[in-house]
Amino acid sequence: MPTDLDTLAREKLSQVLRDHPEPASLDRDEDLVQTYGLTSLNKVLFLTSLCKAAEVGLDNFTEDDLSRMRTLGDVVDALRPHAPQPTAQKG
Amino acid sequence: MTESILNRVIATRPAHDGALTVTGLGHRTTLPLAEFHDRARAVAEALRRRGVGAGDRIGILSANRLEWVLLDVAALMLKAQTAGFEPGKFRPDTELIERYGLDLLFTDAPLTDDAPSRAVPISAVAGYAEEEATEAFEPAEWGAKECTTVKFTSGSTGAPKGLEATAGSIDSSLRAVQSLFDHRPGDDILTFLPLSLLQQRYWLYSALYWGHDLTITTYQSVFAVMSTVRPTVVMGVPAFFDSAKRHLEAGLAAGAEPAAAAAELFGDRIRYLWTGSAPADATTLKFFGEIGLPLFEGYGLNETCIATKNHPGAHREGSVGRALDGKEILIDEEGVVCVRSDHPVNTAYTYAAPGDSEKMFKAGGIVRTGDLGRLDEDGFLYILGRSDDVIVLDNGKKIIVRPVETRFRDTGTVAECVLYCPSQAGLVAVVSPHPGPVDTDAITEALASVNAASEADERITRVIVADEPFSVDNGLLTSQFKPIRKRIADRYRDDIDNPKAGINAH
Repeated sequence: MPTDLDTLAREKLSQVLRDHPEPASLDRDEDLVQTYGLTSLNKVLFLTSLCKAAEVGLDNFTEDDLSRMRTLGDVVDALRPHAPQPTAQKG
Repeated sequence: MTESILNRVIATRPAHDGALTVTGLGHRTTLPLAEFHDRARAVAEALRRRGVGAGDRIGILSANRLEWVLLDVAALMLKAQTAGFEPGKFRPDTELIERYGLDLLFTDAPLTDDAPSRAVPISAVAGYAEEEATEAFEPAEWGAKECTTVKFTSGSTGAPKGLEATAGSIDSSLRAVQSLFDHRPGDDILTFLPLSLLQQRYWLYSALYWGHDLTITTYQSVFAVMSTVRPTVVMGVPAFFDSAKRHLEAGLAAGAEPAAAAAELFGDRIRYLWTGSAPADATTLKFFGEIGLPLFEGYGLNETCIATKNHPGAHREGSVGRALDGKEILIDEEGVVCVRSDHPVNTAYTYAAPGDSEKMFKAGGIVRTGDLGRLDEDGFLYILGRSDDVIVLDNGKKIIVRPVETRFRDTGTVAECVLYCPSQAGLVAVVSPHPGPVDTDAITEALASVNAASEADERITRVIVADEPFSVDNGLLTSQFKPIRKRIADRYRDDIDNPKAGINAH
C-alpha cells in the first residue's frame, strides 16, 4: 500500500528538484514551472516516478492532462481518483 | 547506378515485418509498415482527388502524430512538396499560407470560422486513409536534384530561413548513416523531436527501406513511454540526455544498480543512443558510456544535414566523429568548418534575407558553417566554437566563448551559460539555473573555479542568474535546445549593462 499520496508526491517532487528541498516545505499551490523551475522533461519524470510509487497507471493521463497539472496540488488531485483505495483511514 | 532509397520507399509496399508505433501519454497505435504504406497510398489518392499533384506544396503544422507521417509519405508519392512547421512557432493563418505558397495546410491547431479555406484539420487525414480508391495510381519518382520538402532553420535571430532539401541529399544521408549503424529488423528507433525537422522523418524512410521498427512520440511523453516501448536506439538532443543523466544519478545515489536504473528509464534493449544538433557535455557522454548505454555525438547543420558522426566502429572522445560517406570536412584559413557534399541539401535558401545564402553556401557544394573546428590526423572533427560567438577584446585577443561557457556548465551549478562582453571591463555571463531554488553561494564558488581555470582575458567579471531556466517555451532555447544568444541578451540587456547587477567575481 503506498504512503499517503500527498506525502509521496512531495517526496518525488523533491527528488527531481536539483537541491532536493525538504518535502514538507513544498507548497502544493505553487506553480511547478514558475516557482520550482520544473522543465517539461522533469515534469514527466516526476509524474512517471510518482505514478509508479503510487501504483497509478500512467495510461490514465494524456498530454493535455499533464499540461493542466500546474501545481503539486493539481498533480495529487489528478492522481487521487486512480490511486488504490487505502485499507485504513487515519483516525 | 545506385538505387534511390526514397523512390523505392514510396513505390514499393514493404515486404518485411517492420512496424510503426505512434504513442504518447494515454495512447498507443502500432501498425505494420506494409499497412502504413497502404494507408499512405490511400491518402495520396484522396489528396489527388482533391486536386493535389506534382509541384504543389502541402504545409503541415502539427504535433507528432500518425497523420503527419501519412501526409509526408503521401506527398512524396504525389511528388508534392511538404513544408513542416514547428507547432507553437507558426499560426495556421492566411499570412502563413500565402508567404510559403501553400496549396493546403494541415494543422492540429483549432481552426476558427474565419480560417483560410486552404487550412484543413489534420484529423481529416485519418478519413482519407479509409477512402476507396477510384482509379489506378502510380507513385511518382523524384530526381536527385528535385526538392521533396522545405525545412526551416531554427535560427538565432529573425524569421526562420526556409531551405528546400533535395531527394539526392536525403538518399545520401540515409545510406551513409546506415553504413555506420546497420539498423536492422529487431531494432526499434525511438524519435520524439518534432517531425517538422526533416531528420526525424529520415527514420521513417529508413524503417520502410531496411525493415526495422520505428516509434514516434513527443517531447512531452518520451520519458513516460520509453521503458515500455523498449527501443534499441533513442534519438535525442543533449538536453534530453542531460535530464536523463540527472534522473539516473539521483537513482544511483539512492543505491540503485546502474543497469537496472538505466533499464527502468530507457527499457532493457538499448543498443546505442544518438545525439547531435547541439554540443553534448563530455560528462554526459562519459556517464552514458559507463552505464552501458553508448551515446554517440555527431555534427551537422540544416544546411549540410548530418556531416560527421561518432559510431561504434570509429569513436574518439571530444570529437564529433569523422565525415560520413559523401561528405568532406574542410577547415578554411580562418579555422571555420566547411562541409562539402556530393549531394548538397541545396545551394541557396528559398526564404531568407538578402545575402544570407551567399554567406552560407559556396561554390562546389560547400557550406561554410560558421563553426570553428579542427581535424585531427585521422580525420576526426573537433568543434571549438561558433565563429559568430567570438568576442574580440580591445587588446586584439579573440575569445572563443564556448569553451568558457562549457567550463561553467560543467561545474554542475547551472544548466546553461552564455557569455557577453558589454564593455572592455570584462565578460558577463547569463546563466540558466537548474530547476529549484537558486544556490547563489554555489554559483559564486563555481564562478571562482571557472575563473581560476581560465586565461586572464577569459575571466568572467559578473554572473546574471536568469529568473527562470532557459526553455523552448520561453523562447530562449531553440527547438533543438540551443541557447538563443540574441534573445537572451535582449531579455537581460539591462542587467548585462548594469555593472552593479548580478554576482560579482572576487
